[in-house]
Amino acid sequence: MNVELQINNNLAANARFVSWAPSPCRIRVTDPSGVFLPVVNLQITAASAASAGAVVFRRNATGAFSNSLSVPVPMSGASVPFFVAGRFGRPSVNPGDVRIEARNGASLVGSVQVTVRVRKNANLLTPGERNRFVSALAQLNNQGAGRFTDFRDMHTSVSSPEAHGAPGFLPWHRAYILDLERELQAIDPSVSLPYWRFDQPAPNLFTRDFLGVSDALGTVGFGPNNPLQFWRTDGVQGINRRPFFSTATAPPGLRSEAQTLALGNPALGNLYRLFRSMEGNPHGSAHTSFGGSLSSIPTAARDPLFFLLHCNVDRLWAKWQRQGLRFDPAQPASYDSNPASRIGHNLPDTMWPWNGITGGVRPPTAPGGPMAASSLVSAPGPQPRVQSCLDYQGSVNPLSRMGFDYDDVQFA
Amino acid sequence: MATKSKAAKSPKPGKAGSAAKSSAPGASSAAASEAKQIDDRVAGLVESPLDACASDENLQAVLDILRNRNEPVEVRLAALQSLQAASFSVNAFESSRGDYTLALRQVAEDPNPELRQRVLGLLAREKDGFAQKKLLAGLKNPEKALVPPEKALQLLSYDVHAETYAAARAIVSNPPNAMARREALRLLAADATSAPMFEKILRDKDERAEIRQIAASALQALKPAKLQAHARELLLDTSEYEDIQATSLTAVTQFGDGAAIAADQELVKCVDRLSESGGSKVKQGARRFLSKYGFTTK
Repeated sequence: MNVELQINNNLAANARFVSWAPSPCRIRVTDPSGVFLPVVNLQITAASAASAGAVVFRRNATGAFSNSLSVPVPMSGASVPFFVAGRFGRPSVNPGDVRIEARNGASLVGSVQVTVRVRKNANLLTPGERNRFVSALAQLNNQGAGRFTDFRDMHTSVSSPEAHGAPGFLPWHRAYILDLERELQAIDPSVSLPYWRFDQPAPNLFTRDFLGVSDALGTVGFGPNNPLQFWRTDGVQGINRRPFFSTATAPPGLRSEAQTLALGNPALGNLYRLFRSMEGNPHGSAHTSFGGSLSSIPTAARDPLFFLLHCNVDRLWAKWQRQGLRFDPAQPASYDSNPASRIGHNLPDTMWPWNGITGGVRPPTAPGGPMAASSLVSAPGPQPRVQSCLDYQGSVNPLSRMGFDYDDVQFA
Repeated sequence: MATKSKAAKSPKPGKAGSAAKSSAPGASSAAASEAKQIDDRVAGLVESPLDACASDENLQAVLDILRNRNEPVEVRLAALQSLQAASFSVNAFESSRGDYTLALRQVAEDPNPELRQRVLGLLAREKDGFAQKKLLAGLKNPEKALVPPEKALQLLSYDVHAETYAAARAIVSNPPNAMARREALRLLAADATSAPMFEKILRDKDERAEIRQIAASALQALKPAKLQAHARELLLDTSEYEDIQATSLTAVTQFGDGAAIAADQELVKCVDRLSESGGSKVKQGARRFLSKYGFTTK
């Protein structure tokens, strides 16, 4: 007897990734030989090393998770659904370091290797995780001739009103970094975008093997094994980044995580509107704790650190959402939709550049085309709307799941 | 033309406004008290950048601090940082951008070198013609230089013009210091006519590793096939330095043609040997190469 396990309802190897939000899966018998009952009860479990990823199961879209699952599977070959999620606090360290097994009694009848892939603190990555990320990023840049050019061109002075100074600041950047992450995953599916936790020291991030070490002039140097030594944007080699703080410490003057998460006192009005003041501090302050590209809107996306900084901005939003269950676009506290806001910043609006709309109040070009597709999920779709970027875990509507999670933000 | 905000209506100055007001005459002259006052003002400016553009009054107060040469430089730098952070919130800042740019141009010739450098950096990143002219003039005539030549070259790289290449070539021919030469080379890494120079530098064992690394990166962009050929030769050269061999391995691993490499038995054998006998950086790079191209590592 043999069974087939589909992760994210997909047989493809690049769909075998899970996070804290439950992934829909299926099991079905592909070879019934040796079994003469119409239905057999199979036990689904997972095996992994103590330091590797771990997963949990549940039979339905809601309910408690458990370490194993007993599933009656018909011998007809019909599929039976179940759900898999990463066990919170146990992300994978290496690709495919968790094996999901199906057993008929003691006999192993099917298995599949999966990865618990979540966004992690860049300062705490293993050398392997770091090297895979850096290599994928360098390939995406491909010396300034690769797909990264589109990402660089999306974040300029001309396009800035699409992304800044209004409620859509957070959803726009959520879509932006997700688009980049999916392109990185097309190069290496094991990669996720790490975050720079800017309210804590990150000495392992500012090294020659990772995002480089700045000299007194602000020219960033890389080790000879680091492919980012070939980084190029706008036809210019290298990265300019001059920290105004010791990179063994955190930048001074930034709101701490606790202070940021405390933004949004219900007594003071719309919660999201208050939380959005984080666009100034810590977001803007993190940018301007450096001289060089990162400190100005038109050039910020030339520096790879930009994406790690914004990953942390998005993580803070995710944490803020989680603490007050502010995922539902229909709840006023979740967002600040306001007819006075410019187009692109209200819940039903499509967002530039993924919508391809140019001219008028939109920028004259729309680099990059639609949002990169995922083999795990269908959201937020090729032309994301503001409202499709709130329920990123699919906790309100499972179809809204965007396919990413943060190592320290539990499924709601 | 400078413009005034019509939208800002906040009647209460935030911390930025308070920071501006606390500079009023009559502040304590005691050193400790003065230092604390400076710290408080810096904190007020940096911690609430959006206050800088919460009202026209606040913004003008922060711009005044930035321009005022009698203010402590720490406070002026904090004012600049606050304005920069606020500028990320474009919609709120847009009506004040003219005043902001004007103030930056005024401060570009300030006596304080750090302030000058930061302001010129901000302007250069906005492709500001005023700043570009000043930077080029300084490269041509050091007496007019507002920043050292290496910084000027770095800032001019945000918007490269033919004139900039000419200035960079002049610096490479007659470098005032090693850092200026390095920055000139980085700038020329986008200039197709400089490819032969980079080939020469890459093969020159008397050049510093950092400079040869720049040459490798430049060649990979300008003449990728040439770099792959040179990288192969550098790997086969048993007298070559470890850093250069590691950079060569990174180039062939990251950008090499898989089919051509698989057919190159001499190169594969060489890398296999390096994975065992090279220095730690070379071993690491060699193992990545073998793994990427599907050869087993021992």
